[in-house]
Amino acid sequence: MPNSNSFAHDYKLVIFCIFFIFIMLQSTKENILGVYMLEKSTEMHDRFWEIFSQQDIKKIDEFKSYMDRFAVNFNLYKDGNFIEQSLPFDVIPRIIAKEEFTKIEKGLQQRVTALNLFLEDLYTDAKIVKEGIIPQEFVDSASGYLKEFVGFSPSKKVRTHINGIDLVKDSEDDEWVILEDNLRVPSGASYPLSIRDTYRKIYPEFFEKLKIEPIKNYPKIITDAMNHVNTGGINVLLTPGRFNSAYYEHSYLAKESGAQLVRAHELVVIDKKVYFKNYNGKKVLVGAIYKRLDDEFIDPKFFNPESLIGVPGLIEAYLAGNVALMNAVGNGVSDDKGIYYFVPKMIKYYLGEEPILKNAPTYLPYFKEDMDYVMNNMEKLVIKDVAEAGGYGVLFGHSMSAIQIQDLKATIIANPRRFIAQELIEFYDEKCYLNNELKDRKADFRAYVVMGEDVKVWNCGLTRYALEEGNYLVNSSQGGGFKDTWVMEL
Amino acid sequence: MEQLLTANVATNLYWLGRYLERTEETLYEINKAYDAIIDIDKDAGVKLYKKFNIDLEYTNASDFLDKAIRGVHDANIVNIITQARENTIICRTHIDFEAFGEIIELHTLLQRISKSPLPIDYKDIDLILSLISEIWGAHTKRGHRKSSDYFFKLGKLAEEVDLRLRFDRNKSVTEAIIKDINIILNLLNPDAGLQLLSYDEEDDIMESINTVMKKLIIED
Repeated sequence: MPNSNSFAHDYKLVIFCIFFIFIMLQSTKENILGVYMLEKSTEMHDRFWEIFSQQDIKKIDEFKSYMDRFAVNFNLYKDGNFIEQSLPFDVIPRIIAKEEFTKIEKGLQQRVTALNLFLEDLYTDAKIVKEGIIPQEFVDSASGYLKEFVGFSPSKKVRTHINGIDLVKDSEDDEWVILEDNLRVPSGASYPLSIRDTYRKIYPEFFEKLKIEPIKNYPKIITDAMNHVNTGGINVLLTPGRFNSAYYEHSYLAKESGAQLVRAHELVVIDKKVYFKNYNGKKVLVGAIYKRLDDEFIDPKFFNPESLIGVPGLIEAYLAGNVALMNAVGNGVSDDKGIYYFVPKMIKYYLGEEPILKNAPTYLPYFKEDMDYVMNNMEKLVIKDVAEAGGYGVLFGHSMSAIQIQDLKATIIANPRRFIAQELIEFYDEKCYLNNELKDRKADFRAYVVMGEDVKVWNCGLTRYALEEGNYLVNSSQGGGFKDTWVMEL
Repeated sequence: MEQLLTANVATNLYWLGRYLERTEETLYEINKAYDAIIDIDKDAGVKLYKKFNIDLEYTNASDFLDKAIRGVHDANIVNIITQARENTIICRTHIDFEAFGEIIELHTLLQRISKSPLPIDYKDIDLILSLISEIWGAHTKRGHRKSSDYFFKLGKLAEEVDLRLRFDRNKSVTEAIIKDINIILNLLNPDAGLQLLSYDEEDDIMESINTVMKKLIIED
């Protein structure tokens, strides 16, 4: 006799069949370059799909309800209007084997350690420049390089406190590749943190039956990092305010890490010390600020005088060593895509090691040999503006017309420092359950690396997928969605 | 008792308490007026909104309900809850997790009501009241009280006084609420000596509450 679960049962059966068709197709699905586009399924994936096939698929809607109910939003301005919206979320997690993640972890620890040493060196002795590893002109022309901070060393010499490193897994050689370093204000950690809690409530079976690494420690990692550099006083998280695109994340991380969420005018600098203004008029000394705004806005007395979201006098207090800023001011130089090219060299220079994780093959038109290559191969390259982020300023040679390519060539020749070129990496697609169907979408992975007393890699991250098939841009600001990332072992 | 709390958060918690209390009490009054308009007193809604200094016009009980909830006036329930949601977003780091979710749900419900071409469903009012009860409940369940809880409570009490004065309700209960307010004022800033006078001694109780709040929450 049919029961109320029969529909769900049929539905599950269909999903299960689709899954097996996928697995079968996986071995034959190739792109035009003849490389596999879907990562090989492992026993862990099989176990996931086995449990997935037994779940009530209709419960997926509960994720959206949760995100609406708790305003898990990523805000934006469109046509002059402020819009609060939730990020598109996909229920199929990215699964990374613990063993594989351990290698990523070591690679990221190595990379962030080197980047921290680079920044400390660059702003003090600049040996790496003096010894010709990185051309002086390259540093000087990086928009995030702040000469005014040369000679200053921040609390405990930590500069790269909270880092978002973007990786993809190359389908050609099955290796993880670093695409970008975000050492200024990387965002996104709150989304997988929020959704994981919901996942555990909606589909607890996965967490009962699979060995999935817990992730709740992220706010504690942040707190430890803040405490490590704290110069004496409370920890605060400085937000531009309620209308910032990542305000949800700011309030979430403040609440979970125990830092006070403040806007600029809720802090005051007196005698080169920063104070939190309590509701009763008392002033409480601040020792560490997790700033969620760009350097150019943090102090109108020092940077942009028009900034309404900065704290007047903050830099003076910072330079006096009376407060720690996370991340350090001036880190923007290492987010420059031209400087990214030199990170493997930094690893060798500072650590005497070979990079564990490699960069995407990158060319700097600044060097003649690279310029020649770029001019002759533009159709197959990805051209990036070094100072852009969030998926902006990225051009794909294969999708440009002949006239557009000619124009771009002329622009690059006129300003070679402004661009880098990279080989197009055919990174793996991830399976996504979109509109009641399993579909393949390009997906990257943002790992969060936190430096305090030591360098910790959070055993989760933000997997972002492109909404349209074949699109390589996965950024949230480009309409991309996100999914949970499960670090698992059998 | 002292807790780190910005003036902005304290203010938003206070107003969140006020807006929720205002919504709840107004809906109870709307219920009463709606019932009376049907067959007892056609002007019950007019009289009610006079107390809010609003001239409300309607044709029948259903129209009254519609105008009261989503009409173009200052006591519009949809707008009040939109304000409450804004307060909640700003001070979410100091609000109970479940209470936060319920306020967002309340706002979503009222947005749906405001955009619906259909007449107001009486059951929706019960649902709104039920959600507000849950918010108070979620707030109350926390054993250990912090300053943030007291600002929220202070807003609720201040609004209660406001409505009691508007509706000319029993003086002794209002007196008791004023005493509760004084206890909280003392808890939140024992050094400032902020106290309201008794019911009979105050010329304008709401004006005194506003003055005290300005002294309690120091903006700069």
